[in-house]
Amino acid sequence: MDKGYVENGFIVDLSNARKTSEIIYELSRILDLPEAKDKKVCLKLGEINLNQSELVSVKALIETMDSELEFITTNSDMTKAAAETLGIKISALENKVDAPEFNEDGTVEENLNPELESELDKIFGEGDFEERYPEEDEEKEINEEVRSDIQISTDEFDNFDETYDEIKKHMKETEKLPTLYVQRTLRSGQSLKSDGNIVIIGDVNPGAEIIAKGDITVWGVLGGIAHAGSDGNNYSKIRALKLHAIQLRIGDIFARRPDTVNIPYVQKTDSFVPEEARVSRKHIVIYKLHEA
Amino acid sequence: MSGRVIVITSGKGGVGKTTTNANIGTALARAGKKVVMIDTDLGLRNLDLLLGLENRIVYTIVDVVEERCKLRQALVKDKKNPNLCLLAAAQTRDKTAVTEEQLKKICEELQKDFDFILVDCPAGIEQGFQNAVAGASEAIVVTTPEMSAVRDADRIIGLLEAKEEIKSYKLLLNRVRPNLIKSNDMMSVEDVVEILSADLIGIIPEDTGIITSTNKGDPIVNDDNSLAGKAYNNVARRIMGEDVPFLNLEEDTGVFAKVKKFFSGLMGKEK
Repeated sequence: MDKGYVENGFIVDLSNARKTSEIIYELSRILDLPEAKDKKVCLKLGEINLNQSELVSVKALIETMDSELEFITTNSDMTKAAAETLGIKISALENKVDAPEFNEDGTVEENLNPELESELDKIFGEGDFEERYPEEDEEKEINEEVRSDIQISTDEFDNFDETYDEIKKHMKETEKLPTLYVQRTLRSGQSLKSDGNIVIIGDVNPGAEIIAKGDITVWGVLGGIAHAGSDGNNYSKIRALKLHAIQLRIGDIFARRPDTVNIPYVQKTDSFVPEEARVSRKHIVIYKLHEA
Repeated sequence: MSGRVIVITSGKGGVGKTTTNANIGTALARAGKKVVMIDTDLGLRNLDLLLGLENRIVYTIVDVVEERCKLRQALVKDKKNPNLCLLAAAQTRDKTAVTEEQLKKICEELQKDFDFILVDCPAGIEQGFQNAVAGASEAIVVTTPEMSAVRDADRIIGLLEAKEEIKSYKLLLNRVRPNLIKSNDMMSVEDVVEILSADLIGIIPEDTGIITSTNKGDPIVNDDNSLAGKAYNNVARRIMGEDVPFLNLEEDTGVFAKVKKFFSGLMGKEK
């Protein structure tokens, strides 16, 4: 029962559900996610037989969760008939991009959707990094250091054609923001919010949260949740001696720690190479800053 | 006389708060200090069991708060040690039966007559925790070398730091298994200290003797041969201000080690 994405909403695949209670549970779980708000929902019902009253209650559930049922797909004649009498659209799926599938051991399966693969190529491929980051020898390093999880976002942000000057301009704007300077470790359950930049001398432990309208710099291990550019500035950056965050958000783009990275804690005796996270083509990418 | 009020807390349940409380309390009393322990785990009291005092409880902390008895009447004296007292929790009530102010008042009153007031905190960060911390000026955070316990300890330390009354907090690492650390299957003491960046007051090895001592209602510090008992004794001495080195938990693991130590002692090579 995975979750896919369409242009203005997403597809909820319920074709594996055996009971109506499973459908209700899975649906409410997915619709409860923050990114599901005010989006259209497409249900993939597969072989499931739903009668008219069951379909009505599913639709009502979606509406009570502030979403809208766009269309359903089904192979069952019974469900098809029920949907027709209720006036629910039945459609074939289009524009679908599968969310990456993870095996139990956390590795990405090979049979990726071609569209996703092209998205991956865009990140890992040679691309036009050179235009914006002219250091030729650094470029290969960058591609190797990509650690962020792939998340297909639906926003309109696009920085394909932006120039170096534009990045500079945004940096200048961030510089003008006030900066909150904190010299202690943020522990689980503590959260820090700022209308400007945040600089923390100390760690941000798992369970802690920092939200800044500008950039975030952590002189220590960042292990919690960090959100830079909280008012939607996708040019914000997050830097730390060790980026080990459970979740990173920059502007309206987010990335989570990949399942393959499952180190419960970071040994501080390790020698750190400082890291910086920024948005590159709708994805958060972590770059290692080179030792001088 | 103004006694020190120390709260023993952890966040996570089952890491050994109550055991720690009973043992440190007994050890301090054995060292000649006047000690009172307050069980604030209303509804889930255990401290009396660990001390073997269950049968002697007549009045509880709720009776004191609701003025059915005097504070002095509610204090249960320990069987072995006249220096040790317990103010038991009520089993039939819940955490709302006592307020922060009331606990603060009780602590202030007890400070006049006792050297140490040890407050046993319930698990969690709700009202029970707030009550327990209210009267204290020092804290001992108990944790085990497990990720979940360390996370919760981190949260607790954050909450303690935010409280002005708490002047200092120390970390006590419980249920350490040197063999597992050696084979890299358990977080080491250093790892935990690094993550929590807090001062350590004691390292207690895992000891099956704890189980029997709990069942018998006799704290393990009364057993002079037990390694865990020794470790708890050292914690008590550190609380009293002595500078005691941490136990080498690996030294008692085998006959061979003992023999080796004996010889190295003879040769004068022991560190």
